[in-house]
Amino acid sequence: MSVPGGGDLAIETRGLRKTYRSARGRSVGVEGLDLQVPVGGVHGFLGPNGSGKTTTIRMLLGLVRPDRGTATIFGHEVPRRLPEVVGRVGAIVESPKFFPAFSARRNLRLLADAIGAPTGRVDAVIDEVGLTGRSKDRYKGYSLGMKQRLAIAATLLKDPDLLIFDEPTNGLDPAGIREIRQTMRGLADQGKTVLVSSHILAEVEQIADTVSIVARGRLVAAGRVADLVGAGSAARSVRLRVAAPDLTIATSVLETGGLLVRREHDALVVDGAADAAQVNRALGERGVWVHELTPLQADLESVFLGLTAHETPGGHTHKGGRTKRGGPPPEPAHAAAQAPISEGEA
Amino acid sequence: MSRLLRVELRRLWARQITRWACVGVLALAAISGLAVYLSAPPPSAQEVANAQEMFAADQEAWETDGEQQVASCEADAEAEGRTPEEWGCDQMAPRLEYYLPPTQTFVPDATQQELMFGAEEVDADDDATAAAVEEIRGSVWNGWAGLASLDDVAVLLVLVALVVGVSFVTAEINSGSLGMWLTFEPRRQRVYWAKAAAAALGTVPLVLVGFALLVAASYAVYASFGTLGGLTGAVWLEVAAFTGRLVAAGAALAAVGVALGVLFKHAAAAVGVVGVVAWGSLVFGFGLGELQRWLPTTALTAWLQGGSVFSTERCTPSADGVFECLPVDHVVTTTQGGLTLLAVTAVLTLLAALVFRRRDVS
Ligand SMILES: Nc1ncnc2c1ncn2[C@@H]1O[C@H](COP(=O)(O)OP(=O)(O)OP(=O)(O)O)[C@@H](O)[C@H]1O
Ligand SMILES: [Mg+2]
Repeated sequence: MSVPGGGDLAIETRGLRKTYRSARGRSVGVEGLDLQVPVGGVHGFLGPNGSGKTTTIRMLLGLVRPDRGTATIFGHEVPRRLPEVVGRVGAIVESPKFFPAFSARRNLRLLADAIGAPTGRVDAVIDEVGLTGRSKDRYKGYSLGMKQRLAIAATLLKDPDLLIFDEPTNGLDPAGIREIRQTMRGLADQGKTVLVSSHILAEVEQIADTVSIVARGRLVAAGRVADLVGAGSAARSVRLRVAAPDLTIATSVLETGGLLVRREHDALVVDGAADAAQVNRALGERGVWVHELTPLQADLESVFLGLTAHETPGGHTHKGGRTKRGGPPPEPAHAAAQAPISEGEA
Repeated sequence: MSRLLRVELRRLWARQITRWACVGVLALAAISGLAVYLSAPPPSAQEVANAQEMFAADQEAWETDGEQQVASCEADAEAEGRTPEEWGCDQMAPRLEYYLPPTQTFVPDATQQELMFGAEEVDADDDATAAAVEEIRGSVWNGWAGLASLDDVAVLLVLVALVVGVSFVTAEINSGSLGMWLTFEPRRQRVYWAKAAAAALGTVPLVLVGFALLVAASYAVYASFGTLGGLTGAVWLEVAAFTGRLVAAGAALAAVGVALGVLFKHAAAAVGVVGVVAWGSLVFGFGLGELQRWLPTTALTAWLQGGSVFSTERCTPSADGVFECLPVDHVVTTTQGGLTLLAVTAVLTLLAALVFRRRDVS
């Protein structure tokens, strides 16, 4: 499906806005969001708590009505034409939600019957997420990890082209987190598009091909992970340890060499070096022996924190003027990263 | 039947509350049968023998001085300027029914009732109303014992249908599974209608079987006592018609339950509202005067029992300037009651469907 002004997009939103009415006035959930998710691959949808990720996903799925703006899924305008495309979308919003007194199998059968999927499909997806032995147990007796897996099984019932996972690893142990990550990667490798939201960057960084970062309901950065990290890591950093008496000498040696040095507890962090070897050589030549030398990867985390640090979660904005739709996001730290991304289907 | 409706029906019947409702209905039939068994045994042979003995003694006395008693009665009546009939002089001969203890029968017996409670006066403004009042009061559902005590229990059945309807949607809203459901079928109108229709259709067997069991239990007990009464084909027809109206009312109330569940989101709130409305109608209804006609409780009674009578007060100043208040009877027909129920169901359903279509689901 071709979308005007871009390549193939699984999801596109323009100026999407949603406010919630409450006793204390209006609170903004999403404030003019422009989101572009290319077809294929894993797309990380990142933002701190309360930045509007879940609200955006709800609007895409027709659960919540936007005040303004448009959204499309595979080129179909939603929510108006959602019925045409909903069969290609599997989604978990926030936490898994099923009928607690029904078994996993019965829960899935109801959903499968609603879309006319064959009964065999239920067993297939239950098997796919490894719940076969427990499928007759009541949902309410499930552990959090099993609930997540069941929710993933439900999204697979439709054999969807687009999967939307809202914080799928919330509350899981490391093994569970890894498993879900592998599942998402596996789905993307099958050619499906996966949109995964998270407020923890490390979680998404390893599997995401592209990311969008939101804060206070607005897009603050978007692009390939490599590009975003690259943009933030123009200067390489290394952390090093030397014997305590050598700390002062090492500092002066490196500073004379034109590098930026700061103390971090009993270690030194050096910015601006071409690589770790340069640092090591400079110190060795002056008889200072390095115990430990770690190149610091400028990761997405620091980019993320830099972009969202000044954002208070929970964006209540009755104060302050509204930015016009399509206006610049607050302090776009990486304007370059805003370029729309397009990628062919794998 | 649409796919969605079929799925919703399956879910309704897989629910625990529906199963509990079935158990409850079975228990209700059993308890009601037991109550009949304990409260309606026919007079014992000893009681009958005593009554016959007393009747025989009075009969003997009547034969000797009966004529004299009638004559003096007629003389008294004439002195008061009344006819002997008005004075009851033609009713003075002893009759065995007056001596036998009252017997409850499966088909309520109008004579027995009159003996027990006396004839109820009709205070209607016109003859047509008076005739309608008489007919409603004379129906098997308004008598004493037997079938007439089943209609109150039957109302419990339609309330069960209402609660099943309420919980059918509130459980889904509160567990959050509605959100998941809507990601499979985003067309909200269809989703709503499927739920309302599933509740309405799905509770039909519950109400139908429940009432059949009630009737069967009662019938069995009375049959074992040999006190079925005047059980004619016409009575069975009326029982069948009542069952039909009951099932329709159950379906309507289940749909009302779905509507209230969607509007209030919490089962307790929805059921509470129904409780308050019903209680208020029963307690304060009389104060509403003519408006009682539109109360849901009046409508339900009229629809189920083939008409309902309510009374208002009319106060007029008498000659000495004191207000005198007299009751006036009014009739709500079966059709009127049914239409009121239908209107309430339709309005609530449309309102809920509209709200459901626009509401944000979290
Ligand atoms: N139903 C609601 N009623 C009122 N305000 C809401 C509602 N849902 C969300 N909000 C508000 O909208 C804003 C965005 O919330 P949202 O849940 O979309 O954030 P999020 O990015 O998903 O956060 P998290 O990472 O914590 O899940 C928050 O300020 C929140 O308080
Ligand atoms: Mg969220």
